[in-house]
Amino acid sequence: MSVKNAAAFRRPKRLGIDRRRSLEAYIFLIPWLIGVCLFFAYPIFVSVRLAFSDIVEFKGLKTAWVGFENFRYIFFYDINFVPTFLKVVTDTLLNTPLCMVFSLIIAIFINRKMVGRGFFRTAFFIPVLLGTGYIMKQLLGMGVDGMTVTTGILVPKLIADLLGPSITEVVQGFLDRITVVLWKSGVQIVLFLAGLQGISGSLYEAARVDGATEWEMFWKITLPMISPVIMMNVVYTIVAFFTDTTNPLVDYIYKMNFTNQQFEYAAAMSWLYFIFALVLCLASILMMRRHIYDSGAKG
Amino acid sequence: MSSAAIKRNGRKSKAARFAKTFTLRLAFYFLLCALSFIFLYPFITMIVKSLMTDDDLVNITVKWLPSELTWSNYAIAYRRMGFSRYIWNNVLVGAAATIGHMFSCALTGYAFARYNFKLKNVLFVIVILMMIVPVQVIIFPLYKQYSDWKWLNTFLPLLVPCFFGFGLNGGFFIFLFRQFFMGLPYEMEEAARVDGCGPIRTYARIMLPMAQAPMLVCGVLSLVWHWNDYFEPGIYINTKPDLRMLPSILPSLYALLNQENHTMIQVNDLEGIVFNEAMLMAATFLCIIPIMIAYLFLQRRFMEGVERSGLTGM
Repeated sequence: MSVKNAAAFRRPKRLGIDRRRSLEAYIFLIPWLIGVCLFFAYPIFVSVRLAFSDIVEFKGLKTAWVGFENFRYIFFYDINFVPTFLKVVTDTLLNTPLCMVFSLIIAIFINRKMVGRGFFRTAFFIPVLLGTGYIMKQLLGMGVDGMTVTTGILVPKLIADLLGPSITEVVQGFLDRITVVLWKSGVQIVLFLAGLQGISGSLYEAARVDGATEWEMFWKITLPMISPVIMMNVVYTIVAFFTDTTNPLVDYIYKMNFTNQQFEYAAAMSWLYFIFALVLCLASILMMRRHIYDSGAKG
Repeated sequence: MSSAAIKRNGRKSKAARFAKTFTLRLAFYFLLCALSFIFLYPFITMIVKSLMTDDDLVNITVKWLPSELTWSNYAIAYRRMGFSRYIWNNVLVGAAATIGHMFSCALTGYAFARYNFKLKNVLFVIVILMMIVPVQVIIFPLYKQYSDWKWLNTFLPLLVPCFFGFGLNGGFFIFLFRQFFMGLPYEMEEAARVDGCGPIRTYARIMLPMAQAPMLVCGVLSLVWHWNDYFEPGIYINTKPDLRMLPSILPSLYALLNQENHTMIQVNDLEGIVFNEAMLMAATFLCIIPIMIAYLFLQRRFMEGVERSGLTGM
């Protein structure tokens, strides 16, 4: 072929620079691409198919297509799903902003030069060490087994008498929630701390020369500069709350899978659940996008 | 106004300013201590309870100080949970999975940070999805798959995905490495290229040695998360007692104490050992002691690593 001859004439062994770079990239990606096929894409495919079908024969997973039957069952017959789901949703919507505010405050605190900085840093990192595992679940008194160690800081008796039972209940609920939230914000604090360290000190110096107060510097420098971290943290927090093993819905889905063995139904539930998490993440990204500071760096 | 009056005024405002900063600082430390108390509260409760005697547990006047320190609780908990046997499972899984994550996530992160290739955006969406899709969604297909491969009741389902960039929070680590490599200057690689270094050699000899900070962060977090995880081990390894890991022993211990409608403080074990809540707390604490010791050694370098790894840019 003439084309082949022409190609031979133009040094055929050399690929174009773009093609070659592409090829190199795929060499680096080989392990991950294998992983995507085996541990991600295929299980997701099976899981989606399960959500829309009924298992006819367990061996080899033979399924029959039933359309939205499983989803219909969730909404119209299951008395547990909707209340648990709503509880998880309100928890997430309340906990995420609380977590952001507190972890940012704590990160700003321990970013300052002060006595006992090492101690405080370790103290605030302890929840990460305990992880999201069983230990934390028990320590926070959310164990399904009913054995609790603590249910957060109690409102002192004196103040409780002063406020009356109904207000105390609200305050107590708030305190309980804060304990839980704080205990889950270890990673967020670390990320914020890293973000704060990345802000150039010259900005603060310039502001101080111009007579800015600490308060003004927080709103005009710290917050805008740290906004990318806030966005990342919001997404991380939503996902962390959603995948947490202390989450009642995750527990419910788990039981449906491995105790009741209704795999199709569990798959349908978990996809509904995932779609909600995705919508929440996307919504928060879109909402915050306009306010994110962009340094103009590539990336 | 005389110069003396100005001087006096100046001194007065200085004193006032000192008082103001002093109060502010006091308030600051008070707030910080209060917050760290909330953080440490469940932790301290656990340690205090683990040292109590039987009598202390039922005595409601004993809250913070046990009447005597009962170290024997730890000895019983240690024996009861087979600590010396099962800890090696934890160490093995933690170490292997961490190495897997460091290897595979660094490779993938590097490719995403430094190369432009076809389908890059599509593939990066998969990385984001890896972070967002909870493992609970695909746990059953994975379980079925591993059971078909005869991987159940081995450590393989926990370890092998890590070597391919998956496993516990794999997406997060890929993202970490991508952020770090994106922040590095191109000149190093270009110099290596000009000197005739191939892509893989450039990566292994030039880029990887510079990536100590994210390596450390990835290592510590991966180790901690694997150590504490009981969800996946509980599913994949449930009928082979030899392979159990420390956190997955705890639920059975908690269940043991709860059999008697939550009122039972102590339970007579099969071996005749009395097991009570204090020992349970001791067992819980024993589970995390190794990881805490490891963290104390790595703490300073870990924090530096987080600061340098450039996780902050989106």
